[in-house]
Amino acid sequence: MNKFKTLLIKDWHISKKSLLMPFWITAAFYLLIVLSVAVGYFRGDIPFNEFKMEGEMAVPAIIYAINIGLFSLPGFIILIFTITLTQSALNEDVRKNCELFHRSQPVSVWWRSLSKYTIGIGGNWAVLLIIAIFNFIVINTILAFFGQTDFYASLSGFAQGFLSFAKIGLLLGSLTYFCSAVFKDKAFFQGVAILLGINFLFLIVNVLLGWKLPLPLKYIIDLFSFTSFSNFDGDPTMINLPELINGMWNKLIFNWKTLLQIGVSGALFAAATLIYDHKEVK
Amino acid sequence: MSLITTENLTKYYGKLKALDNVNLSIPEGRIIGLLGKNGAGKSTLMRCFLGFLKYEGNISLLGNSMKHHREDIHNHVAFIPDVSSLDDRLTVKQTIDYVSNMNDSWNAEKANDLLSKSDLPINKKVSGLSKGMKTKLYLLITLSLDVKILLLDEPTLGLDIVFRKEFFNTILGEFYNEERTIIISTHQVEEVAHILQDIIFIDEGKIILQEDVEELKSRYSIYTVKSDKEELLEAHNPRLITKTLGHVSAILKSGLAIEGAEINTPSLSDLFLEKVGGSNE
Repeated sequence: MNKFKTLLIKDWHISKKSLLMPFWITAAFYLLIVLSVAVGYFRGDIPFNEFKMEGEMAVPAIIYAINIGLFSLPGFIILIFTITLTQSALNEDVRKNCELFHRSQPVSVWWRSLSKYTIGIGGNWAVLLIIAIFNFIVINTILAFFGQTDFYASLSGFAQGFLSFAKIGLLLGSLTYFCSAVFKDKAFFQGVAILLGINFLFLIVNVLLGWKLPLPLKYIIDLFSFTSFSNFDGDPTMINLPELINGMWNKLIFNWKTLLQIGVSGALFAAATLIYDHKEVK
Repeated sequence: MSLITTENLTKYYGKLKALDNVNLSIPEGRIIGLLGKNGAGKSTLMRCFLGFLKYEGNISLLGNSMKHHREDIHNHVAFIPDVSSLDDRLTVKQTIDYVSNMNDSWNAEKANDLLSKSDLPINKKVSGLSKGMKTKLYLLITLSLDVKILLLDEPTLGLDIVFRKEFFNTILGEFYNEERTIIISTHQVEEVAHILQDIIFIDEGKIILQEDVEELKSRYSIYTVKSDKEELLEAHNPRLITKTLGHVSAILKSGLAIEGAEINTPSLSDLFLEKVGGSNE
């Protein structure tokens, strides 16, 4: 366990530039907002008194939606950095000419791989969580300032928003991690290109020969699409929020597809590590 | 006792035969030179020893079959491919911490001693170090390991003469004892000749010779005669005749009676050329 901790620390040192980048992007984004608000405030362009929300059910529903929305920007940024880190996880040491140095340490390839996987995916989860907590505090403080608070709606929105991006990060990261074991460079793009190639090949064969070959892209998209927040459409005053939140928990976590997604992610990690372990080190 | 044995070891890269039926036995407590020209198969052999490459035949390292890389073997074997193979993204301190926490055989006392003697900038990234500094760092982390075998694969590649000498003198002074074996792979024979006890010549993937250096030197002599008496040397079918000002020399078996010949002890470089041949052969 001590060796795994050492590997995590080493991989953190190597990856910290990429892992810290979302903080800088978020900080720049905040700076822009603060500047815009300041300019708007001094010019009198922002109608602060119109921020009052009304309606018994509308307020919690909107607070819930806002807290889910906290994740939209950092979530997408984190997904990009998850791809960046995991696509170089198992091939970067070879490119940097230090594979032999690391392989010559008395530690299992599985621990080494798990450390890279943890930093690539778990590290980005942690970054997302920290940014989201900061966003949560800022946004909910502003909402409270305008007299709009609902702890249950805020926290549910926050937790569901985080878990939805965490799941996409896990799947996307695992797929890219697998590609890093197969390809030497630009693993994600090469993986996507091959996937698209196979998909189009099957599509053409199906059209020309009338076969019914399964389209891999369809299965992958299906695997990724765990839920949409579609129930949230329509008039917010008509929404039964507790029912909506409970329904979302079932769609998001408590279902067989979640198990399948975790299983596929684990299988991709295991397959990537096996491929990596059996590669010759020249 | 043999620390490493190979039986019929053969390695292909595609159609290229990099190792050809190699049979070796590496004893304990020796400093062994694995010498060969560029592309002779030295690095391939080293990587096969550690199970980094797939091969045909058998390798036993400290009694363990190395058909597949076994990480626990690195508790007993340290490997330096070349000083550029350190991780450039870590600092000196991070590198030392990483290796020390990874290796149960880490000798903290020795590491501190070596660190205090060195002028390594502890917080600088490895990428910012000169080749000489990288060599010092690699030596520090390797010599602080209490292991039985040290494998050095062209460790001083690209280093200037000062650091090359310092490298091998440090290895000899800080690492070697009669229970430890050092295998040094190089194509620069002259820089390791003074520390070697045993020699292995490899050429085109085949082991040409494995012998004690002193025994080998005693078996051969350099015979030098005047240029007009070259036929005296040619009569013994030497592999190579070297011409110098007014004289010709050849390496032949010791004890030959050649009229008017000056006899000298050959260096390892001379023997290497005799056994393996020059670059323009």
